[in-house]
Amino acid sequence: MHSAVKKTLRYLSSFALIVTLNFALPRFMPGDPVKNLIGEDVYVSEAVMEEIRTELGLNRPLIEQFSAYLQGLLRFDLGYSYHLHSPVSEVLQARIGWTLLLVGVSVVLGAILGILLGAYAGWKPETKLNRGIYCGFIAISCTPPYFLALLFLGIFAFKLGLFPFKGFYDTPTIGSVAYHLFLPVSVLALFSASRNFLVMRGSVIQEKEQLYALYARAKGLYDTSILFRHVVKNASLPIITLLALDFGFLFSGALFIEIVFSLNGMGTLIYDAIIGKDYPLLQGAFLVIALSVLLANIFADLLYAAVDPRVRRPA
Amino acid sequence: MQQGIKKTLICTLLLLFLACTPGITAAVAAENSENGALAGTQAGTQAGTQTEGLQSKGEISENILAYMQAVYLGMDLPHPDEATLSKAASTYLGQLEQTKGTVLKIATPNVVKSASLIGDYSLGIFAHLSNPPLMKMDETGKLVGQLVDRYEVSENNTRWTFYLKEGLYWSDGKKVSPKDAEFTICYYGEKTPSARWINDTLESSAVSEADNSVTFKFNKPYTRINLEFATYNILPSHVWEKIENPQEYVNEGPYVGCGPYFLKQIDLTAGKLVFERNPYWKGQAPAFESVEIHFYSNIDVATLALENGDADTYYKYASSYPYPNIEQLKKTGKFDFLEKTNVGLIFLGLNLKEAPLSDRAFREALSYAIDYEELAALEALGYGEVPNRGFVPPSMEYFKETEKLEYNPALAKELLQKAGYEDRDKNGILENKAGEDIRLTLLVRQDYARTAELLSEYIEGIGLGIDVKNVDRDTWFTLKDDYQYDLTVTRSTPWGMLMHASWGSGYFDSRRSGQGVLHNLDDPAFLQLCDELLATTDPAELESSAHELQTYYAENLPAIPLYWNRVVTPFNREFEGWYADPLYGIYNQDTFVKVRKSTA
Repeated sequence: MHSAVKKTLRYLSSFALIVTLNFALPRFMPGDPVKNLIGEDVYVSEAVMEEIRTELGLNRPLIEQFSAYLQGLLRFDLGYSYHLHSPVSEVLQARIGWTLLLVGVSVVLGAILGILLGAYAGWKPETKLNRGIYCGFIAISCTPPYFLALLFLGIFAFKLGLFPFKGFYDTPTIGSVAYHLFLPVSVLALFSASRNFLVMRGSVIQEKEQLYALYARAKGLYDTSILFRHVVKNASLPIITLLALDFGFLFSGALFIEIVFSLNGMGTLIYDAIIGKDYPLLQGAFLVIALSVLLANIFADLLYAAVDPRVRRPA
Repeated sequence: MQQGIKKTLICTLLLLFLACTPGITAAVAAENSENGALAGTQAGTQAGTQTEGLQSKGEISENILAYMQAVYLGMDLPHPDEATLSKAASTYLGQLEQTKGTVLKIATPNVVKSASLIGDYSLGIFAHLSNPPLMKMDETGKLVGQLVDRYEVSENNTRWTFYLKEGLYWSDGKKVSPKDAEFTICYYGEKTPSARWINDTLESSAVSEADNSVTFKFNKPYTRINLEFATYNILPSHVWEKIENPQEYVNEGPYVGCGPYFLKQIDLTAGKLVFERNPYWKGQAPAFESVEIHFYSNIDVATLALENGDADTYYKYASSYPYPNIEQLKKTGKFDFLEKTNVGLIFLGLNLKEAPLSDRAFREALSYAIDYEELAALEALGYGEVPNRGFVPPSMEYFKETEKLEYNPALAKELLQKAGYEDRDKNGILENKAGEDIRLTLLVRQDYARTAELLSEYIEGIGLGIDVKNVDRDTWFTLKDDYQYDLTVTRSTPWGMLMHASWGSGYFDSRRSGQGVLHNLDDPAFLQLCDELLATTDPAELESSAHELQTYYAENLPAIPLYWNRVVTPFNREFEGWYADPLYGIYNQDTFVKVRKSTA
């Protein structure tokens, strides 16, 4: 069978598995969505509870619920959020844009910073500057994101008063959005950069010992030319995988960052949906994340082929 | 001639005032034409009694109209003299200018998650400012009218009549009518599951325009309607009657309200609610042009924002400002603190359905094992106190002084031995009456992990085995409902203490269910006390039954209160007039109309 067909079948079966797991996983969690909906201090009779259960379709056998879920998916209907009182697609639409802005910018900045600094640090690992940068990124990658976010907030927002404490904006203008996103994007970009830096540095250290690098040097090429024209190209293959994985992170958001900076993104949305047992919202959010990872992997496969001729060559 | 110029000048000032309040003029004029003599009489009466104390826009407007009708149309209407009126108008205009752009900012961790006024829990609380309920609780815990002047209840407690205050207007200029109150209550009953009891028990309702009242007739005696109606936000019927499913109605504002402020905007992305002054509000004029509620997903960040001066106060329903952060905030020198004893409390729930906790003597002994002072000191950091055996905190109405709980492990051991719990096999753990080691299961949620550690030490200290089971919130609900625990640490909220037959009974009555309640007590004596409380609205009978209930708690210990605490609310010391009630703390209408710039 042609490899493209094989790949397509593989992706389709992954999608089918994802859809099934999306339905099943939220229902494995302990807790009753109806009780969560009613609240702690409110008394309602069992009859009313049953009425709500019927209204939400939760009294139907699981197979019927699953079938209704699949039928909804075929109509591009992700259902209705129990707690947010809106169609899931509308809720996701509203949040995804902001999350893309927050995490997307951070991932891109983190990739550029990590690749460039990592390549340079791997090329000349013995210099004091590169050792310092290496230690700095190791420290960042070992720091819990929640702590680093609070630290940044404490220094730059509280002590120095340079940035706001919360929200995507105060008034919906580009300036206000940029001002509010500066700190959270910086924290996330640093995290992303630290991972990319460490991978890239290790990869360049390995690649620079290869014969092609020696050959390029023998030809009389400058260091920067060897590094950025030859070595980086080969060393960046693991980064492509890492970025494809980050794509899932792009949609699931950065929960801790969102909590510290009170940002209304996908991370808090999913967290609240888990706490509130909001099945339709969880199903919708997980589906979007899974699909985005799947697409990112397809894209990574294509990118691999473009970057590395060995992948294109038939086995 | 000079008199004419003076009158013209005064009228110019008054017209300037009226120009600032076009809606009021229209509304009052409409009111006059609708109600004719009645409106005239009201204006006259008010003019006669309030010449000195004209404060609100509504009062001044009405008196200006009366004055102008008397001066220009020759109508025989009582009105204040020129000097009083012009002074009141210019003072008001001056105040208006001073308060222009002023904002009162509140930081809260109660995050609004959906722009659904009826569907979102936190938004429902914040909307008390724009859509006040009929009743409210005063600072002593007594239920008094908010939108109503008074209420009556029939002898058999089935018919409740509420008399609305005059001079209430929606922010779109329409008058608040008894029909709005009737519509709201029926609407909640019909459309929201948590208020389905209204739909199930309301037999009929009627409004009377003549005495501005609404009457609800229930199919069985209901004695806590005045309390229930302190929680339902009143809605404008002319807006909401068009909305078929209010829980699913999502709108970022503005919402029509009848409080001192109306809800202008819900911006979930910016994390704030904006309330603006209701232009038709006729009560005491609030000192701020707008009120902003800022949500913080993280309490630590909310406290930092407060320290930084980004907010003027902090509010979290049923909770205090975090005790560990109070000292830090004091150091800024910018805040004062309002302290009130919490109506809710932290308590040790007991599985009364199973031995050994079903044994009163065992519970009695257990109560002496706990070091209440240490718990209060460590958990409430000086803002707590040792509770009484009667469970109910002193901030509740009809509180009865009962004996304080006492830490005496020696006595605990002695009582256990007397009750037949002994360590016969000398392994350090007491045995039950069947000769098996007693190992108690302490079920706790993450919030009370530290309390659980302390309790474990105390309980082990009197020779009982203990297994702490730390679980997430949902597992706690499930295990608690299945009685799969011996002990559990939980808390009661102010509303929780007031629900059912009040005084915390809703947590224990076995005939109830709900996420936070233990429904573990089926002692007929207790159930009868609940029924007695539920059957009366007579203050004397209520007091007597409430005292009996607290005596029951003290004697039988169906739960062991761990500590009473104080709700501490920081507020910007540049402002004064803060007011807290036991149900909603500082988030009440009185705060928002009374708080002003400090004169000191």
